[in-house]
Amino acid sequence: MGKSLFEKVWDRHIVEQLPGDNALVFIDRVVAHEITTPQGALEIEHDFGDALYDPQRIVAINDHVSPAKDADTAIQAQVLRVWAKRHGIRLYDIGDNGICHVVVPERGYVEPGMTLCCGDSHTCTLGAFGAFALGIGSSAQGGAMLASCLVLSRPKVMRVHVTGKLGNGATAKDLALTVIASIGFKGGTGYVLEYTGSAISALSMEERMTLCNMAIESGATTGIIAPDETTVAYLRGREQQPSGAEFDARAEAWLALRADEDATYDTSVAINGSAIRPVVSWGTNPGESAPITGTIPSDADPTSLTYMGLEAGQALRSIAVDQAFIGSCTNARLSDLRAAAEVFRGRKVAIPTIVTPGSQAVRRAAEREGLHDVFQDAGALWTHSSCGPCLGMSMGVIAPGTRCVSSSNRNFPGRMGADGRVHLASPAIVAASAILGRLGSPDELEPLPLAQSRGIAA
Amino acid sequence: MIISGSILALDRANIDTDQIIPARYLTGITKSGLGQYLFTGLPDGPGLLATKPGARILVTRENFGCGSSREHAAWALVDHGFQAVIAPSFARIFHENAYNNALTPIVLSDELIELALRAKSATIDVEQETLSLDGGAPLSFSLDPLRKQFILGGGFMRYLASKIPTIRAWEIASSQ
Repeated sequence: MGKSLFEKVWDRHIVEQLPGDNALVFIDRVVAHEITTPQGALEIEHDFGDALYDPQRIVAINDHVSPAKDADTAIQAQVLRVWAKRHGIRLYDIGDNGICHVVVPERGYVEPGMTLCCGDSHTCTLGAFGAFALGIGSSAQGGAMLASCLVLSRPKVMRVHVTGKLGNGATAKDLALTVIASIGFKGGTGYVLEYTGSAISALSMEERMTLCNMAIESGATTGIIAPDETTVAYLRGREQQPSGAEFDARAEAWLALRADEDATYDTSVAINGSAIRPVVSWGTNPGESAPITGTIPSDADPTSLTYMGLEAGQALRSIAVDQAFIGSCTNARLSDLRAAAEVFRGRKVAIPTIVTPGSQAVRRAAEREGLHDVFQDAGALWTHSSCGPCLGMSMGVIAPGTRCVSSSNRNFPGRMGADGRVHLASPAIVAASAILGRLGSPDELEPLPLAQSRGIAA
Repeated sequence: MIISGSILALDRANIDTDQIIPARYLTGITKSGLGQYLFTGLPDGPGLLATKPGARILVTRENFGCGSSREHAAWALVDHGFQAVIAPSFARIFHENAYNNALTPIVLSDELIELALRAKSATIDVEQETLSLDGGAPLSFSLDPLRKQFILGGGFMRYLASKIPTIRAWEIASSQ
């Protein structure tokens, strides 16, 4: 019986089968950030002689609130700094950092076939590389730093087969939201989502990361996509990757890593990628979304609607928004910023709009292309990299009762600020909504004079 | 290990960890002192908690603890005095975090959850995997046999530490 890609990666990392359905799973790389690492690090220091299994397997990043916003967050960053220095752990810090799920791939720390964990649920982003990457709590992360292993019960595997090709303005974000709406907000619980099919193979690495990033939003342990030439091309020349023959040898091994032709899955879902349209969330979990041209479903959860101040049957394009946010580990890579800039170019925002790049490297790349001018000419705020308002921590937290259209990943009650409301969408939809002052898409915008649309100063 | 006390019923599904403890309170470096922030992200959360100040056992609906991996959710529940959470299902990361903090996570059928939501108190025998609602007949439940030992026997980190020689040997063998 053939194996899925996930099973192959899993099987290679089993140190020992444990009672119940558990296994001791070897972890190749631990990603450590300032919000969830100090607790486990301090426990190891206090109870286990400060002994880490292998500091070279750990990469540390000050990312959530960087630079610090107050004394408490400054202490978190400082604890991570001092700890990383003491153990010789590579730290990405102010000036050279970004959101860990963006920095780790852009520096080449993730490879096909690896296992990675981090005290952060969106670690599933890295499954885009054919790695088994999962979010865990601080104690489990402490365990992974102490023993380079996790205790995990073996997840089942759900094949998410996406045929056709994304088009009609649909992006990887729309695919991610459509998958969650299709399998349900908790439908992935207990599963790894193994994405296959022509629509998946056609995605760039940045798009694959957007898709895998939201696997957790269905409750799934993680998502995973088979490595291919796109993966190899992305990793070639990255900071932590070797060059020349050594890289080529790695690439050869990566390309051999794939599901068997006769692989069996615990369950499968099929989605026609060509039929996907741009969507926006209307409710209080990422499974509650609908096409932007549509209406709120008649059977929508009344609790969600009450919180959101909306009614069943209401046209999504009639919903006025108070703030727009383009950022987060879901949609703040260079291609996302380019997509947003395409919409902003030559136009003006109608509401406060914040554009936050996923890393300082993304920021610099965007500025080399002049995207920062496009955002600022449109009246948006262009910030340094941070998790920012996505989780209501800093740099754009929203007021109670207000509504933010966001390229981030969670629309839970209070997520971006106490009693605030969030609508999730792709960067292009967020940008169009920022200009319209309501939920809307780029095709609703007035056409620009030809000179302006080409970016030529009038 | 016996857990006995009054029940707080949270009759809602899909309570995510942002509602259990919002990110604005994740600015510490230790696991302690978070009980004061418990359920401050839940509409009416603090008011609900005030109705049962000494509750030891939380009963809620499916998919409890979904979303962010923040273990602060488990720490806040424990710091507030909760020793067990009863639900039809838990999100994976919260489920693991609960075991790692001796916050006994008990899965009951939807039918039994209806009874538990209406009960005033419960007595839970973690070792025997039984619970009694309002002094009634014992009901059985199942815990993960390994993670149960993390609750009863000194914790997850000590268990992993004991495995380090095995792990080092495996790593050497698998790299050859």
